[in-house]
Amino acid sequence: MVEITESPLDHAAITERVRHVNAGAVCTFLGTVREMTGDRRTVALEYEAYPEMAAKKLAELEAEARRRWPLIEVALAHRVGRLELGDVSVVVAVSCPHRGDSFEACRWLIDTLKDVVPIWKRENWADGREEWVHPGLE
Amino acid sequence: MSPTSTIAAIVPAAGASVRMGRPKLLLEFGGRPLIARVVEALVAAGARPVVVVAPPAEAPEGPAVARAAFEAGADVLVPDSRPATMRDSVELAVAELGWADEPPDAVVLTPADSPRLDVSVVERLIAAWRESPGRIVAPTFEGRRGHPIVLPWQLAEAVADLPPDVGVNALIAEHAWKVFEVPIESDAVLVDLDTPQDLERLQGSSAATRTVRLFAIARQLAGGPEVVVALDDPATVADLRRALVEQHPTLGSIADRVRIAVDDEYAEDDAVLPPGATLALIPPVSGGGV
Repeated sequence: MVEITESPLDHAAITERVRHVNAGAVCTFLGTVREMTGDRRTVALEYEAYPEMAAKKLAELEAEARRRWPLIEVALAHRVGRLELGDVSVVVAVSCPHRGDSFEACRWLIDTLKDVVPIWKRENWADGREEWVHPGLE
Repeated sequence: MSPTSTIAAIVPAAGASVRMGRPKLLLEFGGRPLIARVVEALVAAGARPVVVVAPPAEAPEGPAVARAAFEAGADVLVPDSRPATMRDSVELAVAELGWADEPPDAVVLTPADSPRLDVSVVERLIAAWRESPGRIVAPTFEGRRGHPIVLPWQLAEAVADLPPDVGVNALIAEHAWKVFEVPIESDAVLVDLDTPQDLERLQGSSAATRTVRLFAIARQLAGGPEVVVALDDPATVADLRRALVEQHPTLGSIADRVRIAVDDEYAEDDAVLPPGATLALIPPVSGGGV
């Protein structure tokens, strides 16, 4: 299951969705809006997606993860639009027979998602400045 | 001139497309009617208001042109009868702007059939005018003068005083010493759309136009969600990068440093662009700290 939405992410419901009687392990990762980056203070974040490609890439990630690990259920959900401090921006939830695979798959999914899925964030800093976060392009 | 000086735009769009044989302003480029693209580029470049003089309501294409312009953000004038010349349309728009409490300090005079009008070019012309607000600013490509043209408000008002059979070009010729030319790297400023041959050239195989979707910093730099580039066919991703740098200088700083997606898939520089493929610039994603 993959999802890109402007609505708040209900991480408990998403976790519940991947639970399964054959699973001995469920691993959920949440990305949340952090206030302090070094000594800079964030007021809010705005996320923008290239929706068609982002949905396609998320689906490809799910398929690849299922090839690599014995996953039972997978949920990848990303929120876009304006997010306030503490809001959940991304949820990765997987269920597997055993915990080792669930940790590995969850870690791989979030790391790869952050590298290949075209969703960008714009920092709204407390000093009033706003900037897109593009690692390597500064 | 204070930085708060206001720039309006005038888009005469009342013509009957006689030579094209069909309403050219409703022809679609990158999925959008031409008139909407032109208005959006002017709005993105900071022109307020953008006044479009549409065909009269009883003209077959009139309501559709007016609606497309309005939805793109223009103030639309619908004359009772079709203005005989482009100059008449300009005069109507100038009169409308003159009614405002505070008329603009300059107008960007933009032919509606500017299929490759570029936000960054309009911005450069406006910037050149701001440096010296008395002058007329015109773009050139390889020495030939093109469009759009930035006219100081006093000169725009003078259109009404021209003899009936004299066009806006005569006014500019009369004030030739005030004209400041801005060389542009692309022939886009010369391209208009009058005949089916023009259209074929624009859409045809020798120099296809491609629409490139923009996101995040790319969208911010270009001032809009997409740009149109002219590109020989066949072309590769590397050709697209070069065309972006040449035709959209505001994207020059990133065009060779971002990934390019073809039909929603990352593509290498030697990949050939299929006809009609969806193209997009993909700046590095937010990734960040592990």
